[in-house]
Amino acid sequence: MGRRRSKRRMKKERKARKRPPQAGTALLIAIFALLLVSVVGIALLVSTSADTALAGNYRTSTGAYYGALAGLEEARGRLLWKNPNYINNAGSYSNLLSPSGVPTWALTQVLYIINPGPGETVDPTSSNAVNYPDTEYSLEFPGWGLSGAVVNTPIQSVSPVASAGLPGPSYKWVRINPATEQSLNMDVNGDTSIDRVAVLFYDPANANPLYQPTPGLVLSSPPVPATPPTPTAVQALEITALAVLPNGTQKILQYVVAPLIISAQVSSTSASPFGASFPAALTLAGNGVSYTGPQTSSFTINGQDQCAMNNLYYSIGYTNSADGAGITAGAAGPGPAPGFANDYQGYPASGAGSPLPTTKGLATIANVNPSPSNALLAPSWMTPASLDSMAQDITKSADVVIDGLTGGPAHGSNLPTMTPSAPMTVVVNGDLDLTSWHGVGYGLLLVTGTLTYDPNATWEGLVLVVGQGTLVSTQGGLNGFDGAVFLAKTHDSSGNLLSALGATSFSQTGSSGNFGRGINYNSCWISGNPGNPLIQGVRGPLINGPLSYKVLSFREINLQ
Amino acid sequence: MAIFLAICAAMFELLRMSQQKYSGETQLSAAYQDSRLAMDQIVRDFNIAGYPPADMFSVLPAATSQYALTPVAWVAGYTNVPPSPCSLGQPGAGGGTCGGNPGDYDLVIETRIPPAPGDPPNPPVSWICYHYDPTSLTLYREVLQKTAGSPPSSSQVMTDGTALLKNVMNTPGSLMSQIVAQNATMFHGGVAQPIFQYTCDTPAGPTPCWQAPAANNSPKSIRDVDVTLIVMTPQQDLQTQSLKLVELFGRGHRSNPAN
Repeated sequence: MGRRRSKRRMKKERKARKRPPQAGTALLIAIFALLLVSVVGIALLVSTSADTALAGNYRTSTGAYYGALAGLEEARGRLLWKNPNYINNAGSYSNLLSPSGVPTWALTQVLYIINPGPGETVDPTSSNAVNYPDTEYSLEFPGWGLSGAVVNTPIQSVSPVASAGLPGPSYKWVRINPATEQSLNMDVNGDTSIDRVAVLFYDPANANPLYQPTPGLVLSSPPVPATPPTPTAVQALEITALAVLPNGTQKILQYVVAPLIISAQVSSTSASPFGASFPAALTLAGNGVSYTGPQTSSFTINGQDQCAMNNLYYSIGYTNSADGAGITAGAAGPGPAPGFANDYQGYPASGAGSPLPTTKGLATIANVNPSPSNALLAPSWMTPASLDSMAQDITKSADVVIDGLTGGPAHGSNLPTMTPSAPMTVVVNGDLDLTSWHGVGYGLLLVTGTLTYDPNATWEGLVLVVGQGTLVSTQGGLNGFDGAVFLAKTHDSSGNLLSALGATSFSQTGSSGNFGRGINYNSCWISGNPGNPLIQGVRGPLINGPLSYKVLSFREINLQ
Repeated sequence: MAIFLAICAAMFELLRMSQQKYSGETQLSAAYQDSRLAMDQIVRDFNIAGYPPADMFSVLPAATSQYALTPVAWVAGYTNVPPSPCSLGQPGAGGGTCGGNPGDYDLVIETRIPPAPGDPPNPPVSWICYHYDPTSLTLYREVLQKTAGSPPSSSQVMTDGTALLKNVMNTPGSLMSQIVAQNATMFHGGVAQPIFQYTCDTPAGPTPCWQAPAANNSPKSIRDVDVTLIVMTPQQDLQTQSLKLVELFGRGHRSNPAN
């Protein structure tokens, strides 16, 4: 019995030693703790994932947009002759761009700029989805589609910088082609039909039947071959870009652009014997204009073209018939003083019509806006709003913009260095005082304030004083302007846009017997001719091309 | 046993804190997402404002719904198109003659919205209206076809439009001092933050509209719109009881018409 009891006790003791009262608790705690840590970890994981997804969505949404925009801007920039990567640098696309850089796209012409990523093939004409086909073209031109289009050899984007390992923006291709009513799905001329084959031109001098400026798109006339309907119209182009992000997000954006050519905007009326050119060596646009010139034979406002001597223009043009009396030249009363009519030679006022007279007239000071239908200036050159718009266009594409609004006028020393072979577009926002500047300027000068001229300075090209419309000179000197000078008062002295052009003023009185040589009309400096110095922004047989390509419209296209 | 309970209590406290933190962060993320979507929508709408512009036509369509008169419409006097444009006031200070639309909290964009797949082509021009209601702290958006006459009033946008973004705190009212105390970088000067601020084209370049010459301080001259969205989460921070806000800035730039 005793032995048996002792065995039982020993068994119990062994059992007790094997299973302590809290055996397993640590395991439970450990499992529980692990569970908690796991839950917290999972929660953190979920939270982080959500944030990552958020950032990703936003990035792709905007990334595709700006990728396509970069494509549009590359194409717009490379259409411009002065861009180092001008698409016609090698002359390969002379069927698309004239020697002067003006677009001459035929209806079915298409040019792509492609931007493949590493290892990619971009072929917009392909039907293979991996090659980024251009499905939009067929929707815009359903009559022939890409298979019926003349697709020029594509050019490579210059955006990627391989040497720096930069892939460039995410667009795949940019298409440049002419625009039509059908491609834009727009009845631009109000004839209630959508034309399929007439390519669109942009006419900055377009006016409505009331002779109010309405710059806008016009149809070619005849449609085939596409011919500008007016001397001032320039071809509008469609630029379309497709951006695709690595995650598949796609976006198509589209511009309609047109070259900005200043001289092409002067006149579109067939009544003008001067075509689209400036009608006078000095044009005083406005109401209540005044002209004061010196009484000396050494100073001339000469309307005879010094580049093509048989071409005659007015010496001074004004736009309000009542203003003839305000134009004096060293004498009280209208016109030049007796004996000084020779100083104002040019197109004989009585000789309008065709063929152009070649015999110079004297005292050719004339109203270039005798009636709306016979105006020698387009309406867009005779309203403050449209001139202001033009000034903004020039400012946007200028080589140099000088702010003379604050801190007094800009001076000649602020002007950049210019040469006949490197003319510039210079804009002075505010007053420009050329006193004591004896340099030579080449190109286009726009002054929005008062131009204080020193006749020791020379300007070869086009001078626009649009804003305050005041040119004043009291200095003596021997030089002058070659080209044309245009004055218009569009703003009051506080800078408010006027509802109608104001009192433009030209006054050059000289000093100590020196009066400068005045203004000589020179179409070489305005429009450019072979073998002569050229200025940019004006159209001629061999010019340096447009100032820029103006964006007429911008839209986003949803992928179909 | 006591140790076990202490550990458990600590863990549950940790879990509770994590949960509160997670909840707060989730709400903040949601506020960010909503704000970003709203910002993206506003900027995209403004970028295509003014399409198609009048200079796409040599003869303007008889129906004004076929083209955009201006990129930004205005209510006062808009019926007599083309009227003398109204002038914009100083952000936060009012003034101007546009009657607040376009203004700090109202914007009406004229544009042709790109047709979605399956939609008929060449849709008419639409008005895209934004209006902020400081009472409900909601930014409303309404799209409707442009017709002759004025775009809808602010009250109509609130009635017919959809709530694009809620808990918009650009005008925090009595919460201003609390927000400024907790977020020193917000609400400079302790004044309400306009949602929309405008930059206009001038001969001297882009300028805040209210500083532009009178001729350029009008809806038709607006080139850029700066958008500021300050959005609060639905709940306060559960740990600190502070207000949780996100602030987003964006800029819309129109290309139509070029000038």
